[in-house]
Amino acid sequence: MVRLLTGTVRQAVLGAALGVALPTLPVMAANDFYAIVDLRAVAADGVRSFLNGGLGELRFDDQHDGVRLGSVSIGYRHDFFDIVHFTADAVAYGDHDRSPLDLTEIYAEVRPYPWNSWRSRLKLGVFYAPISLENRLPGWRSAYSLSPSAINTWIGEEFRTIGAEYDLDWLGRQRGHDWEFGAMAAAYGWNDFSGTLLSTSGWAIHDRQTTLFGRIGEPDGGPVSGLREFHRDDDQRLGYYLGGTAKYLDALELRVLHYDNRANPNTFSYALRGFAWRTKFNSAGVRWTPTDRWTVIAQWLAGTTLTGDSGFNDAERTDYYGFEFHAAFVLVSWQRGADRLSGRYDGFEMHQTQSDNFFNTDRGHAWTFAYQRELNRSWSLVVEALQIDSSLALRGAIGEPTAARERELQLALRLRL
Amino acid sequence: MNRLLSPTSRNMRINATTRVAAATLGAAAAGWGASAVAADLAVSVLDGAGHGVAGIVIIAESDTALPDKHTPHTAIMDQQHMQFVPRVLVVQTGSGVDFPNSDQIQHQVYSFSAPKTFKLSLYAGHKYPPVIFDRPGLVTLGCNIHDGMIGYIYVTDSPFFGRSDDSGQLQLHGLPAGNYTLTAAHPQMQEAGGGALQLHLTLADNTHATPVFHLSRPLRAEPTHDGDRRWSDY
Repeated sequence: MVRLLTGTVRQAVLGAALGVALPTLPVMAANDFYAIVDLRAVAADGVRSFLNGGLGELRFDDQHDGVRLGSVSIGYRHDFFDIVHFTADAVAYGDHDRSPLDLTEIYAEVRPYPWNSWRSRLKLGVFYAPISLENRLPGWRSAYSLSPSAINTWIGEEFRTIGAEYDLDWLGRQRGHDWEFGAMAAAYGWNDFSGTLLSTSGWAIHDRQTTLFGRIGEPDGGPVSGLREFHRDDDQRLGYYLGGTAKYLDALELRVLHYDNRANPNTFSYALRGFAWRTKFNSAGVRWTPTDRWTVIAQWLAGTTLTGDSGFNDAERTDYYGFEFHAAFVLVSWQRGADRLSGRYDGFEMHQTQSDNFFNTDRGHAWTFAYQRELNRSWSLVVEALQIDSSLALRGAIGEPTAARERELQLALRLRL
Repeated sequence: MNRLLSPTSRNMRINATTRVAAATLGAAAAGWGASAVAADLAVSVLDGAGHGVAGIVIIAESDTALPDKHTPHTAIMDQQHMQFVPRVLVVQTGSGVDFPNSDQIQHQVYSFSAPKTFKLSLYAGHKYPPVIFDRPGLVTLGCNIHDGMIGYIYVTDSPFFGRSDDSGQLQLHGLPAGNYTLTAAHPQMQEAGGGALQLHLTLADNTHATPVFHLSRPLRAEPTHDGDRRWSDY
């Protein structure tokens, strides 16, 4: 308890210090910066979180709740030469990560003026692939709840485009049509280990994004110890994704994407003591805003991942571990003025298709309900209740029941500076 | 064809199904006075239930050249909550339009419509002088940062124009006698063929005509989603 309190105080002090220090930074242009301090009161009854060395699927668990630092986020936006838009977002979680503050995204977007009804966009740097229809706020935070869906949680954990993305948009509304269409292609590296976490601890629902130089997990002390990192490139092979968007007025947005990291599963990383993960998936999503008040979002994602046998002393072996996975969710949100209510249902599944002994599986579903209120321009409040029921085979391998019902109630107080 | 309606906008294209009515309102009203006093128009735009429709652009164009009555002025199209306000303007050829940005964030206004191509580099507040719209037609505006921002400016040579008020009415005064084409247009009109509506009428001096446009379909709903527009999308 004392240790818990000490940790809590340390995190709170860290958050407050960053919050106070930020406005004193040399101000290039005050409007270019933002900072958000997010403090939480958490009640959780889940099994030990995968973030703390266990196999729970939420951020907090029965040993890690109480007053917590949600995050301290800082961001910088600046425009150069009228058509170059620079973005950098960094976050501190106050947990076990190697640097107390680290980047989640840093990129420049070149966005020339449309030519006729066509417009090109080029993004360079570190950024998220355009999969999530929930994560619309600065810092890639969900606009509807504290914890994004299982799909977008996984994107936040294991994926970052470190490379270039080109978009071509047809702005039909400029020509009196109701639709707009876009197509995109991206090439990237440093994503050889996407899939590691999903195949081990299954799907999860939380808002702890992995940072650019950061790791996720517990260094020691838990039954599933080990820090995982994803943004590495050991096989010198570029990955790609291809996607498309369609928008109908302001009411409907459709997105599809095919993703393939093209990692070589025979490439062994001595740093990570494991083989690379070849991860491919397709995703589709729709966001429907029929009125000013209502928003409905649905997303689906399905794919496979494959890795070589990950024994440190077995680098010459060519056995593979293969996995299939899919997940989907439906979110309904209602907003009036400063109040927003959201409810979401997630369903997910992962199972192992290739192994020489143990076959891991994860099947489950989750309900999430959130209420948000903007108190004023600086302060906001979020209450979120989350229940996840899952059956993760790997829990049995460490002597725990495979089935778990985990619940989490969070109250977040956010200060935007 | 009316040059105002010539852009390739689907909404603005006139086809065979556009209703064109011939009216001789002037003849009906003749004899109201012997002196050569110009005519007045009280135009109504009604929906299927007979209720007035607000915000419809009304333009009366003489079929013959009018004595010069060029009164261009400067109109304002503000930017608030990532929307152009008003979203639809009508101005006379040669007029200026001011584009202040009342949002806390920067916008980048542009048009690639044939009657007026321009761009205003990223700005907030009131940075640029009015943009002069010197050719008639429909100009569609966008913001290169926020694709959901769409605005429309109808530019007409005629000095007789306006938008219907909340009761669906527009009063036009001082029209010289002659033949006129009266147009009702709006980007969200969804009449048969997607076009605008037109009436042809003949006005005699010293008359007061009351033409009525009947919309067969409601304006297309185009939600503005103020809540969602606070966010810059990934």
